[in-house]
Amino acid sequence: MQENPYLLDTRISGPIYWCDSGGKGTGSSPAFGRHSGIGDFVSKHGGRRQRVASGEIVLQTDGLTKVYRSLFTPVGVKAVDDLNLSVRRGETYSIVGPNGSGKTTTLKILLGLIFPTAGSATIFDKSIADLSVRGQIGFLPEDAYLYDVFNGEELLDFYAGLFGYSKRRRKELVDELLSLVGMQANRKVPFRECSKGMRQRLALAQALVNDPELLILDEPTSGLDPAGRHQMTRLILELKRRGKTILLCSHFLAEVEEVCDRVGIMYRGRLVAEGTLSELAGEPTEIVVTTSGIDAMRAEQITSHSGVLGMDDGVVRIGHESAGELWSVLETIHRAGGKILEVRRPRPSLQDVFVRAIRQDAPEEAQ
Amino acid sequence: MNPQLAFLIGLFIVIVALVLTRRQWAPAAVHAVPSVWRIAKITVAEARRRRVIQAVVILVVLILISMTFFSYLSPQEQSRMLISGGLAAITVFGILLAIFIAAFLIPQELESRTVYAILAKPVRRFEFVLGKYVGALIILAAIVATMTVVLVGVLMLQDSLVQDLPDSAFNPNLKGVVFAAIMNYFAIAVLTGLIILISTVASTTMTVISAFIIWAVGSLQSTISDLAAHAELPVTKALLTVVYLIVPKLENFDFRNEVSNFVPISYGTGWEAVIQGIGYTAVVLILASIFFNDRQV
Repeated sequence: MQENPYLLDTRISGPIYWCDSGGKGTGSSPAFGRHSGIGDFVSKHGGRRQRVASGEIVLQTDGLTKVYRSLFTPVGVKAVDDLNLSVRRGETYSIVGPNGSGKTTTLKILLGLIFPTAGSATIFDKSIADLSVRGQIGFLPEDAYLYDVFNGEELLDFYAGLFGYSKRRRKELVDELLSLVGMQANRKVPFRECSKGMRQRLALAQALVNDPELLILDEPTSGLDPAGRHQMTRLILELKRRGKTILLCSHFLAEVEEVCDRVGIMYRGRLVAEGTLSELAGEPTEIVVTTSGIDAMRAEQITSHSGVLGMDDGVVRIGHESAGELWSVLETIHRAGGKILEVRRPRPSLQDVFVRAIRQDAPEEAQ
Repeated sequence: MNPQLAFLIGLFIVIVALVLTRRQWAPAAVHAVPSVWRIAKITVAEARRRRVIQAVVILVVLILISMTFFSYLSPQEQSRMLISGGLAAITVFGILLAIFIAAFLIPQELESRTVYAILAKPVRRFEFVLGKYVGALIILAAIVATMTVVLVGVLMLQDSLVQDLPDSAFNPNLKGVVFAAIMNYFAIAVLTGLIILISTVASTTMTVISAFIIWAVGSLQSTISDLAAHAELPVTKALLTVVYLIVPKLENFDFRNEVSNFVPISYGTGWEAVIQGIGYTAVVLILASIFFNDRQV
């Protein structure tokens, strides 16, 4: 068989071997079970992974800009505007933003599907125009666009073939990947007859076919039911645990909070905020005490207490700057005959951060 | 030298120079074969599962078989009619299938976005274009071969049925039929390349319309040449000359008349047309690769 030059990268790192968890064609999803395939996700050549030449930055964009021009819009529409982004080795970075904020356009530029109007981007210290880069990337497109007349086995065999694997290696890979994503039992089901969740898992399997160093996931849980979302999130977390660098775009902020180390908020093509969740959310601004058994008359005693911001439906809010008054407030609640159910210092959710970030750009839309 | 051949050679040199300036393409060509072959194979496999193509081929086969029922004609007329009608059916349906297969190959990948998962892998865009073209060639070869085998079978069957008749002049002219079918396949191959080129820059509808126009013009190239020679207005003359030079001379691949009228075939003319066709297709595919390489998907 003729060798593919892009196998060079895989030869260095060694193709990944996936252990079948023993799903053996059962109807269950072995990859997501107690003794899941994910847990057995091992690389026999794990110690020989290719190193990134300079430091920890795996992906970097510098002033990346994309303007769509047409006959009717000669000035153009800026889909991505001066984007400076960096993703470190092993981290899970999420780009969040409303529809049309430029998330998918950014991913498409990074994958060489479209070309930037200005700026540049590098992956593994190589220009994104360098084709060898794509030997180290796995891409999960939004809405799983794969050939619908083929089944999972045929699809994975085809995608593995694009990396120049031998027939025997392809067969091994197909078995192991199908086991990993819990599709062993449904390996012969044509893609068009697969459920949304099955399609998404197959699409993820094709993204992993080359044991990529960097995974780019575009809306990995889009359109999935809660169970499907949970499965996909677990899979992403396991890939993260295995040291994969992951760049993902998502609408589901809860999922992003669960899996991501850093978040970039894009709005109107620009990166309006970036950082870890705690950096973005900042310090808690209030203390929340959940109570029960307090009638309206006694509630007044509590709300009149200095430091209490308000009380609604048994939930007392105390300003963070009045934290010192907490014991005094709790005593008042106790004296008023109330039960203290919970005391929390909630951090703003990613949704709060998101709304706060875009409010600066467009207050009317943030509303 | 044939002006079209000279034009093609000149254009080919320019294109080769263009390709060489894109340095990343030169070493890549050597390693392109496996990817091209994988994409060609999946194109063929996909086409095999689409029932429309199979239905059309079955229809053509039925038409060819039904032609044996014209038993009221004299044996010689019958052979002429069978050869002429059979080759016409192969040409028309072959070209129609070529247009509808090739026009959708790349646009359908873009529309269904299946191209994302492929181009996100280490696959060069020219490998994708070539893979699609090779896949289309394999599909069309299978279609033309099936139709030709059926036509040959029909001719042999008819020959065996009428050979006992007194003064039977039935002439199946099998060698000529096979040659005409092969030439027809080359015409289809040239047209397919051109359709793929157009589909890299135009919508599917525009590609289909353009393909029909090119087929019509390509089949009337000697008329175009005559019109250009006799045109009075310089603009008309220039326009017709450009059309003559750019559009492939598909009529050069048409041997239906010679074969069905049992006229000796000029094989040399046919193979000359094939060589020109290969050159023309190479140029067209290089252009298609260049256009697709710069296309935002």
